[in-house]
Parts: sequence; C-alpha cells; structure tokens
Amino acid sequence: MNAPTPALVARPERLRLVGQRRQILALMHQRLMIGMLIYGAVVGFIVLRLVYLAAFGDHAGRKGGALDLAPERGDVVDRDGNSLAVTIDAWTIGIQPAQVIGDKFALAQKLERLMPERDAATYFAMLRSKRKFYYLRRRAAPGLVDAINALGEPGMALSREPDRLYPQTALAAHVLGYTDVDGKGSAGIERAFEDRLSDPAQRGTPLKLSISSPIQQALEHELQAAVNQFSAVGAAGIIMNIHTGEILAMTSLPQLNPNAAGNGTAEARFNRATLGVYELGSTFKPFTVAMAMDAGVVKSMGQMYNCPEALHVAGRTINDTHPFGRACSVAEIMAESSNIGTAQIAMQLGSARQQAFLKKMGFLDKVQVELRERGRTLTPGKNWNLIETLTVGYGHGIAVTPLHLASGYAALFNGGIFRPATLLKVDAGHKAGPGHRVFSEDTSYKMRSLLRLVVTHGTGRKADAPGYRVGGKTGTAEKYHNRSLKVTSFAGVFPMEEPRFVIVAMLDEPKATAETFGFSTAGWNVAPLISRTVSRIAPMLGVRPDKKREPNMAEVLPHLHEKAE
Amino acid sequence: MSARGFKSVFMVGAIAGTALSCYLVSLRVASERAALESVENKIVLAQRDIRLLNTEIGTRGRLAQLERWNVKVIRLSAPSADQFVDSSFQLATLVKPEAKPAIEAPLVYAAAPAPARREPVLTNDDGSATAAPAARSAGEMMHVAGYVKPARPARMDPRVEAEPVAAAAKGPVKAAAKPAPIAAKPAAKPKTAPATKAVKSATADPLGPLPAAKGKAKGSGGASGARPTSTTKDSGSH
Repeated sequence: MNAPTPALVARPERLRLVGQRRQILALMHQRLMIGMLIYGAVVGFIVLRLVYLAAFGDHAGRKGGALDLAPERGDVVDRDGNSLAVTIDAWTIGIQPAQVIGDKFALAQKLERLMPERDAATYFAMLRSKRKFYYLRRRAAPGLVDAINALGEPGMALSREPDRLYPQTALAAHVLGYTDVDGKGSAGIERAFEDRLSDPAQRGTPLKLSISSPIQQALEHELQAAVNQFSAVGAAGIIMNIHTGEILAMTSLPQLNPNAAGNGTAEARFNRATLGVYELGSTFKPFTVAMAMDAGVVKSMGQMYNCPEALHVAGRTINDTHPFGRACSVAEIMAESSNIGTAQIAMQLGSARQQAFLKKMGFLDKVQVELRERGRTLTPGKNWNLIETLTVGYGHGIAVTPLHLASGYAALFNGGIFRPATLLKVDAGHKAGPGHRVFSEDTSYKMRSLLRLVVTHGTGRKADAPGYRVGGKTGTAEKYHNRSLKVTSFAGVFPMEEPRFVIVAMLDEPKATAETFGFSTAGWNVAPLISRTVSRIAPMLGVRPDKKREPNMAEVLPHLHEKAE
Repeated sequence: MSARGFKSVFMVGAIAGTALSCYLVSLRVASERAALESVENKIVLAQRDIRLLNTEIGTRGRLAQLERWNVKVIRLSAPSADQFVDSSFQLATLVKPEAKPAIEAPLVYAAAPAPARREPVLTNDDGSATAAPAARSAGEMMHVAGYVKPARPARMDPRVEAEPVAAAAKGPVKAAAKPAPIAAKPAAKPKTAPATKAVKSATADPLGPLPAAKGKAKGSGGASGARPTSTTKDSGSH
C-alpha cells in the first residue's frame, strides 16, 4: 500500500465498501439466525413430541380392537338364558382368480377333491374368469380350512365372517325364524326384532324370549310322535301362561332347521301356529256357552234345550255325531259336543252379541303377537246372518289361527281378561300386554267345571293326565275342499281348579289307524297327545299332581242326566 | 466461592435427576397400563372362547339329541301322579324298615327258671370254669330283677347279713373285686363279718342254701379265692 498518511477522510469508495460489507454481514447474521431458529424449533418440536409421547403416549405393543365383545347380531335366549340363536365367527372360503399364481388346472382338480359340490371344470372356469371374487363355501369346517390353507395358494381367500347359528337346531324354529345370507332376519323373531338385534347399542344384551326350551322340546316331540302315528301332514302346538300371555312353547310341524332354512320346503317354513288359519270346530263351543252365560242367556248348567236328531234352520240341516234325540242340559251339550245344542244357544245369543264378543277376543283381527307371520282370519264378514251365527257358534264358518284359540282360552280362564300373547319374557323389563275384560269373573269360574266335565265324562276322556286336572274341549272340523280330511284340535287348560296354563294342539289331516278303531276325530288322536304332553310338562311348570283335587263339579255333575253312548 | 461456582452444576444435575425420575415414573405407568391391557385382552379372548365352547356344548347336547338318546337307549318317561309324595311322612311309609331285633341280649324274666343257655355266655369269659360261672350268673340276674324275692329276706335275715351286700347288688364283676378279700376269710369261718352287716340289709337274700354253694366252690378249684365266695351267694339262691 502507500505510505501511511493520515487519512483524515476515508475515500468515498472505501467507505461504501465498508458499508456494503456490514450490510452483507448483518444480512448473513440475520439469515443464519433464522436458519438456526428454524432448526432449533424443529429439534425442540421433536424433543417436545418425544417427551409428550414418553409421558402420555401409548405403549408400543398395544393391541387395539379386540376389546369389543358385543356380537355382530344380538343373541336370542330362552326364558332360562339358554342360547337359541348366537352369532359366531365362521370360516368362509373364497377364491380370487387374479391372485392365483400356481397351475390353475391342478388347483381346480385339488379343489374338486376337497369340495366335491362342484366339479373340476367349474372350478377351472372360475379360476380363468375375470371376476374378482367367488364364494366357495360359507361356514366351512376347520378341517377343510386347514386343507385349503395347506394348498399354499395365495389366491385362496380364507376369512372369518360372523355367522348365525341355532344351537338347538329345529327347536322353536318357527318362533326364532332365520336370517338370510347377509345376516338380515327374514322370518320369526329374527325378522320381527331385526332393529333390536342389529342395533349396536342393544345387541350386547341378549333378547330374552318367553319360550322355555324343555317345554318346547316336550311339545315338539309329542306332537311329532302324533304326526308320525296318524300320518298327519302337519301339526301346531302352543303352550301359554294364561295370566301373562307368555308363550312358553309354540311349534309348527313339519320341522324346519333354521341353520339351513333354504333347504326346507315351503311347507316346512310355513308357521301353522300363527300364519295358518283353520276352522277349529268344537273347540269354539265353550266360547259360545260363556258368551251366553255372560249375556244372561244361559243361567245355569242345567238349562235344558231340545236336542232332536237333526236341526233344520234356514234351509240347512245341523247334525250331531252322537245325537241325543231328547232334551239335554248345557252340561250334556258340552260333554258330548252337541252341535245342535250349541247352535240353539248361539241362536239365543244372536249375531250382534256374538260378533262383539269375538271382536273383544281379537278373533276378527290378526292375532296379536310380536311375529310378522300372522294370518288373516276368515269370518262370515258382512254375511253374518242367522245360519252363520249358528255355525260360528260351534266353530264352523270361521277360521282362526291356533294362537287365536290359545289367547281366547287364556281370556276365558284367567278370570275373563284378554291379554295379547307375547313371545318376550314378562319381567321388570317387559310388562305383560294391556288387558281388557271380555267375560265376567263368575263366568270364567263356572266354565272350569264345564270343561273339566268334558275330560272326565265327555269326548275328551283320553286327554286326562291323571292328577293334573286337565280340562278342555276337543274339536274336529272337516276341510272345505274334501270333507273326509279333518283338522283335529284340542284346547286344554290345567290345573283346572286354579287354571294356570293353556295348551292347544292341532293335527292337520290325521288318518285313522287300527288303534283308533277307524276314528280320526280329536278324541282319538289329539287328546292322548295332550295327556302325554301335560304329564310331561306339568311337573316342570310347578304343577303338583294330586288325584284328590278337583274343581267344584257340583255345578255340572247333577245335570248329566243319562250317559250317552 | 467453590460452592457458588458449582451451584449451576448442581442445579443442572438436580433438574436432570428430577426429569429422569419423572420420566421413569411415567415409563412405569405406561408399562403397567400395557400389562393391564394385555390382561384385559386375554380376558376378552377367554370369554370369546368360552362363548364358542358353550355354543359347541349346547349344539352337541341339544335337547333334540338328548331326546333321541332317551327314546333309543335310556327310555325314561314322565313320572306318573302316584310317584309324587306329599310329605316326608308319606315318603317314610313307603320305606319298610330293616327287620332287626330291638335288643341284642335275650330277655330273661324274673320268674323264669335258670336256663342251660346261660352257660355259653359265661364260658366265653373263662374257658376253664364253664359250668360253675354259668350257674352263678343266671341266679344273680334273677335276683336282681325279681320283685318276688323280698318276702324271703325277711326269713333269711341272719344269713343274709353274713354276706357282702354290695357284691350281690351290683353283679358278678364287683363281687369279684370287692368282697373277695373279705369273703375269703369268712368263707373259711362260718361267722359273719361285723363290717358287712350294716350294708347288707336290703339285698342278696337268695343265699339261703349255703352248703350247696360251698360244694360248688370247692369243685371249681381253679378259680381264684374271690370267685368261690361269689358263687356261694349265687348258687345259694337256687
């Protein structure tokens, strides 16, 4: 440089230089600072996040999701808590053709060997198709799943899917109903309570039915035995608590396995107890007598009617199987199931009162129960004239479901109060349905001895289960299209001196056998079935057998004038 | 100075220590929580298994299956009305008690003559002296039980006093124990012992025929001294 001369004033370019450098330096500092701050912030954020995770974060090995126990669809249990329908995880075998890597033809052959329901050609066609997925089998057995897994083919899809299982198979099948492939209820309780069973909030708690498994099983077994014995095409049975309207057992035959409902015939899927309507014949007579007593037409069991061999009314002739041919009392009319006598009582009662009573008992509407399968009753409707009144009086010309009959008998013997039938257990969570009075308490009381009389001295003698005081009424009706085919039924109540349960059984087209001496009336086929069933279920229901107890028969026995043969 | 200089170091150390311990606590809590969760998981899985197994058992043991077994093999049927009993008394009437003698020992009446049957009972005790003890015991029992006797003692008083009362009252065993020593001497001498008199008054009248007793006692020489004395009373009754 030059000699050191005191520079009093810096050269302007130099000054500018210094200023520039400073500016640049400041800028660099500023940038460095910003960079450092960003870096620090990132590190700080990471550190904070780590600390937070260490303090409050989840454990690395945490497994979530398994804590949910609620099934996909709510369970259905009987009144004692035994499972009737559960949802379990079942293996499903599928195939994804696009992901198959091995020899497709060899695979098709192996599949045919493992699952012979399709042949190798079909499997091969599936494997070569463009579709993404085929279901091969639902609800596969674990052994088969193992074998499929051992094929080592990634194209085979094994998965677990919720599946509806009915552990008791055919037990109470028509009550429970069944679900379709997608798990939606398509019949019975499954259909009626679809919302309740699939609601996430409620499906954790099982749906408790009023059905009692042992009683249901007893009824089904005895009914099936009778169907086999008398070659009937079908049958229905109901056992009901008359005070609450709870249905303890309800069955319809032929049987249906809800686990494979699609394999059953349409006949098997048909619920005869609630959907089928039948002319139930003489089982209606107690209603007519009770109506007449309530209306004051019949004043005592000893009231006499003229019972000729045949009654000619309005151009029609009414016959009896055991014609009296003399005057007969109400007690005799009931004991011998006289159409002629009952028709006269109905005539005195009149059409209007008869319809009013039937309406109050719900016989003119669909039966009241939770199920959706409810049959429409067939009644004379607008043509309810004199002759219709008479025939309805003894149970012809009106077709109702067996459940109607059970509800009606319950109303007749629980003190006269009609309550809708229910399939849900009556307890704190589910109150019995609202009732309304149909018959007076006095009528209800008097009817006890009258129905007991039918079993001790009348047409229902074979229905007596010794010690259990069964009372009831037989009914035999001819089918409209073929009068040789019959529908036989029995509506019974026990124990008669303090009625608690009603049992209704019906056989559709029973045939005469050698043991019944060629008869196919209710007294010969349904009545013995009632006797067997009652002696089996009554101890389970807490009814104590006692041969010394009887309802008050003093009202009716004196009016049994002569033993009709 | 030095303390103040290290102060910051201590502070840093303390803070680091605190932070570490806090972290350890939270770590511990997290691991406990994880353990709890795994237990809960296991419970849920176990419940799922239970449900599955219950379903399987229910399916295998379904009522229709039980019914089938019953129809084919077991053949149980509903009980008839007569098979129910009303009360425990009615139940008791159905049970016939086992025929069993109320008293094991044979009953001997006071008035009965001493049967030969007595002998075997006593022979069990003493194999050797069968005959003599049998005779004794039978006589003894009759005296104790009988009310007929009191008439005699009035007559026999003097003789009775001579004998030990207690022994007669309580049976052969006692007789053997107590009166033996006393009786041993008096037996030799016909005179009565003064001490025994007071006690005697009530019982043991049958002793009357003393001489016969003596004979018997001598016959059973093998027996101890005590026995002969007791025999004397017993046999005397006859």
